[in-house]
Amino acid sequence: MKRYGIFHLNQLEYAISLTQIRKIVQNARTFLLPRLPRAVSAVLVDEGQLVPVLDLGLLSGQPSVTDEELCAYQVLVESEYGTIALPAALNGAIVAETKGTLSDSTESKMSWIMNEFIYQNVRYKILDINFLAIEMTQNFWRNQLDTSGARRH
Amino acid sequence: MDHNKKLIFQLGRIGFLLDLTHVVEVVDPVQGLFDPGRSDIAQGIVAALRFRQTWIPAVDPALKLGLSAQKKIVARAAIVLHGHEGNWAVLADSVTELSFADQLIPCDIPFLLKVSAMGYYSQVFLLNNEPWVVFDPEDYYGASAQSA
Repeated sequence: MKRYGIFHLNQLEYAISLTQIRKIVQNARTFLLPRLPRAVSAVLVDEGQLVPVLDLGLLSGQPSVTDEELCAYQVLVESEYGTIALPAALNGAIVAETKGTLSDSTESKMSWIMNEFIYQNVRYKILDINFLAIEMTQNFWRNQLDTSGARRH
Repeated sequence: MDHNKKLIFQLGRIGFLLDLTHVVEVVDPVQGLFDPGRSDIAQGIVAALRFRQTWIPAVDPALKLGLSAQKKIVARAAIVLHGHEGNWAVLADSVTELSFADQLIPCDIPFLLKVSAMGYYSQVFLLNNEPWVVFDPEDYYGASAQSA
């Protein structure tokens, strides 16, 4: 049975397939490194490894979210290129796919959205983790809401 | 052995490690010993520092690393280093402590950050589960820094 982690961050509601989630950590300390890419807000240390924290505020065109209460969770997700961390508010949940519906609409879909998972009338954007990992860490991210012309990975 | 000791300093809310063998002395703060009129920004030199009856170049790594220093320049500390061309100084927000190398755990730079790190730092260690960036003086002053 497929399940999703559903999360909120400011104006963004997003979902990630549970198979991609490595762990969720609460109140993780974050650190700066020199010359971090613009779309990487910090790094955290998990089991002796550095993990880039993506600035998901850029996905919704919102200012960067650094408030500790608003992003009390860090969702550690496995991409093909390594682990990344996505900030989230405390009200996340794990939901079976059968409890909601997948959107069949392909209209105005952005490159970083694989699909939408609709649960309790909220449309959660299912993130394309590999796309975001590359675009946001390699300085390809242009802060645009629609990167439909960008590369696919 | 000084090889086994690292000087820890902070700059722009980032922690750095410096091999103690490079260090001559720490001057903190630099106020009153500083001549910002004698700068060469192209070489990263932001001022001259009065040190042991002579003037030495003071380099601000924040310029190269794109950091915002947390203190005004005259309130910062200077770490005086040996160099091939004589002593020179690195400016830091604060010099925290000494640490022994065997307390440091090497940590890989994530694949996704290797490109952004290239040319700026190449080693990170963990100390008390916090990342510390190895500061290589040759990247900031001298012939090799200019060729880079």
